Amino acid sequence: MPNSSIDIINVIESKLKDKVQIQKGQLSTAAITVSNGLHRDVIQAMVDADPYTAISAITGLDLGASLGVYYHVRTSNAFLTIKAEVPKENPKIQTITDITPSGVFHELEVSDLFGVAFEGNPLPGHFVLPETWPQGIYPLRKDVNANEVKLDPPLEEEKKPSEGKLVKIIIGPQHPALLEPEKFAVTVDGETVTKVEPRIGYVHRGIEKASESRTYLQDIYLVERICGICTTIHAADFCETVEKLLKAEVPQRAKYLRVIALELNRLHSHFLTLGHAGLEIGYETLFQYFWRDREPIMDLIELTSGSRVYPSIMTIGGVRRDLKDTDLPKIKTTLIELRKKLPFYRQVYENEPSLRARMKNVGILKREDALKLGVVGPVARGSGVDIDVRKDEPYEAYSEIPFKEIVYQDGDTWARMNVRMDEVEESINIIEYALDHLPAGPFRVKVPRVVPPGEAVNRVEAPRGELFCYIKSNGTAMPERVKVRTPTYANIPSFLKTAIGENIADVPPNFVSLDPCFSCTDR
Amino acid sequence: MIDFMLIFRILVFPGFTFVLFLTLFCDWVERKIEARIQNRVGPMVAGPGGILQPLADFIKLLTKEDITPRDAKKTIFKFAPLVAFSIMVFAMAFLPIDGGSVISASGFNGDLIIILAFVTIANFLLFLAGWASCNPYGSIGSARVLTQFLGYDIPLTLLALTPAFIAGSLNIFSIAYIQVTQLLPFILLAPWAFVLFIITMQAELEKDPFDIPHADSEVVGGLETEYTGGKLAFLHLTRDVQIVFGAALVVELFLGGPYGPVFFGLPEFWYSLWFILKLLAVVIITEYITTVFARLRIDQVLRANWKILLPAAILSLVLTVAMVTWIYPMVV
Amino acid sequence: MADTKTWARVKSPWVLHFNSGSCNGCDIEIVSLLTPKYDVERFGVKLEPSPRHADVLLVTGAVTKQCEERLKRVYDQMPQPKFVVAIGACACSGGVFNGCYNVVGGVDKVIPVTAYIPGCAPRPEALMDGVVKLLNALSPPKPKKQAKQEKLVEAPKEEVKPPDAPILEVPTTPILQDAKSIIEETKPDAKQ
Repeated sequence: MPNSSIDIINVIESKLKDKVQIQKGQLSTAAITVSNGLHRDVIQAMVDADPYTAISAITGLDLGASLGVYYHVRTSNAFLTIKAEVPKENPKIQTITDITPSGVFHELEVSDLFGVAFEGNPLPGHFVLPETWPQGIYPLRKDVNANEVKLDPPLEEEKKPSEGKLVKIIIGPQHPALLEPEKFAVTVDGETVTKVEPRIGYVHRGIEKASESRTYLQDIYLVERICGICTTIHAADFCETVEKLLKAEVPQRAKYLRVIALELNRLHSHFLTLGHAGLEIGYETLFQYFWRDREPIMDLIELTSGSRVYPSIMTIGGVRRDLKDTDLPKIKTTLIELRKKLPFYRQVYENEPSLRARMKNVGILKREDALKLGVVGPVARGSGVDIDVRKDEPYEAYSEIPFKEIVYQDGDTWARMNVRMDEVEESINIIEYALDHLPAGPFRVKVPRVVPPGEAVNRVEAPRGELFCYIKSNGTAMPERVKVRTPTYANIPSFLKTAIGENIADVPPNFVSLDPCFSCTDR
Repeated sequence: MIDFMLIFRILVFPGFTFVLFLTLFCDWVERKIEARIQNRVGPMVAGPGGILQPLADFIKLLTKEDITPRDAKKTIFKFAPLVAFSIMVFAMAFLPIDGGSVISASGFNGDLIIILAFVTIANFLLFLAGWASCNPYGSIGSARVLTQFLGYDIPLTLLALTPAFIAGSLNIFSIAYIQVTQLLPFILLAPWAFVLFIITMQAELEKDPFDIPHADSEVVGGLETEYTGGKLAFLHLTRDVQIVFGAALVVELFLGGPYGPVFFGLPEFWYSLWFILKLLAVVIITEYITTVFARLRIDQVLRANWKILLPAAILSLVLTVAMVTWIYPMVV
Repeated sequence: MADTKTWARVKSPWVLHFNSGSCNGCDIEIVSLLTPKYDVERFGVKLEPSPRHADVLLVTGAVTKQCEERLKRVYDQMPQPKFVVAIGACACSGGVFNGCYNVVGGVDKVIPVTAYIPGCAPRPEALMDGVVKLLNALSPPKPKKQAKQEKLVEAPKEEVKPPDAPILEVPTTPILQDAKSIIEETKPDAKQ
């Protein structure tokens, strides 16, 4: 948690007192309503005052006659929302990418899905939607039905695209290194990478639009399926946001049970990444060993919830099922066995020469770049940026459970993987503490089906970083707008930067070290 | 007169059929070792204990549809795998397996150089195969093959000459025979050369930690990307025969070849048995090294070659010359 | 001769995994098949990097509109005889995303499918069961064994559907199309 005493609201008030309306206590720390153009001044003031300032997400909204563009900005000790509006007939707004480069991908998504034109954004073209999506159809606007859109076939790519010495290699969408489809056009000069152009959107299923036509309870199961690896945290984030709208108080026992489920999810996700990294550097044996040790964790997840991959244990108001007392000893013995295996893996990472040769000093992300690009999660903590939502803005029972925040200063692939390894140990500690101090009581509380109108934001710490959710309700049983910003979406710009100047053979391990999850990114 | 014995030796044993089945058997051994080290079981269903798995793979590939890409260079694309395979099998014919090689009972002076040249030609044909498929992954894969084997050919030749120097001859039969009759096996006389030779062989055969040309996370299928069906089967077989050939070369040069104690009956039977046992030992060692290490980057591989292995190979030759000329005559 | 061909095809199915817009749940269960607890290499299954080397295409995910063309292209690149396995509820019919604006909804709307393995996400045991059932459907029947049994257990004919009929409901057990006839009809082409 950054040690900071900057009162960011004071700073904004002193600089722009009469031009903006500040509502303290709304939408986390404060909501600031600005009229056209002033959003730049507010963000500029924040960036000047606090180096930890970064855009967490940009939400687009259909407000009827106008489109809302909400900037959610994170600083070292506050989380603000800046609300701007543009008219539908002329949806133009100035970009903020020159002030803080962390906003570039977020702006592209709003322009794709709502049609807001950000003047000055450096990247053109469709980002989240397919390349051949017809112009003028913005799926997330209320008056648009995009179900019947038929796409033209994609453009025939040139056979041997190369300009002089530079050769363009296309990685993906079907590639053995990547579990998911996405395309990276990597331009190489010999063996050195000069430019990386991403093309995402292959897994864009339109979850945000679909959630508007299902009830809140049905939406849990939809939002959960944004990603099959970090599924529990997506459900938890959504449920917490709805509970904020309902002003419902979750019982203590449910909070602890949620923490146990979330930390089990973090364990299995970190083991998955650690093993996958082994596969990328050609170390199949390490991959097999990590996944062999991941199986007891999957057995625990199945024991506590009934299913391996989709535990579906979160519900609005608590958890769906209780933990039996007879299960506790089994969980404890499995965790003890797991803890005994960690020194072996630590030794491999410290001493194995071929692994160190492939991971040390590869993909270095400097601390200033990490702060400017607004990266989150183990990528940030591996570069010396000490942000962790469990410590900065504790949720569930994390304020009562002691654990360490893991920060490494090196900024290379090796440091990022080590952050995850140490977090595995911390997760085991958290689960053991939670099991020992599990309070008695109900494990869920009944909540009404209809949610009163309002809006709420919530942030949690997914295995990959900060996960953000914004929900606007309109007084019915279905939400008006659900916006989810996943951690990989915020981390990809860092990959575009760290890959430049590296050997092409370093691109896969570098890529896996930021633990990309494209189904999270595309939703 | 038709020499039926010669035809039998060429086609069946120890010629083509024996080499083919030995290759498939070594492939099975490798897969089982890799699986056991990774805490798994490996092929189990095809035949007892999965021993027919490589044969099933081979036959299945032969029955697949054959696709030639539109832009590929047709002649090289079609024939390179088959020619590479033939050259490797031909190179195996020079090695004494059952007491004498297929070519002639006692070889001829200089056949060590010739088979090293054959390995180079076969590797070069593999490079051509990848280049002819006109696929960006194929081109990168084959460029890596070329860079790697051209670099490692030099220390390989130097290290192969070490046993030749100790034995005083470039004839493989003599080198192998002398280890059993007059001197000790060269693994004991020049152990440094043995260790360096194994490492260099790993790089020549493109196995971990030097298996960049087959790094499927970077170059998809490498030089094999566009190949299907029978041509792919022969590409795989070429690589497997190269592995067997490399191990056989180690056996001949350092472990005394097929020669060992004969207990009863035909000496040919015992010589083949010793050959196979020693071959399996070398295959197990190389496969163990493969599974235990990660894959190095191309610049690290090249640095390992030019800055470490090449000087080490030269030093090893010098050291061996010194030991043989001055030290060993005093001891023996 | 035909028996040896079929034997070799059954004992050595090389798979290619393609994610056409999946949430990753089914994909990590596929990857965990290679790990020590389930070890699918016992059956000779190898995960291949290039479509040209593979026999079986494992498709996960409700096909998104952007992936539709790529899926067709990958399928065309595979040499005959080839089989497609649709894994997970999304691949069978679109799953929970059926009706979303960027989703085609089911792999069989794009390419012919041989086997369906439902579940969200199907357990690795269910995946192996589906793969083994597919392989068993390719093996020739053994008349000697059947003569010894009193009742012949015939292959359920009502479950066989023609390849181009749209699948109307998600089945609860893996359903196989007449895979043997696919092998016999599609002989490998001699020339491109």
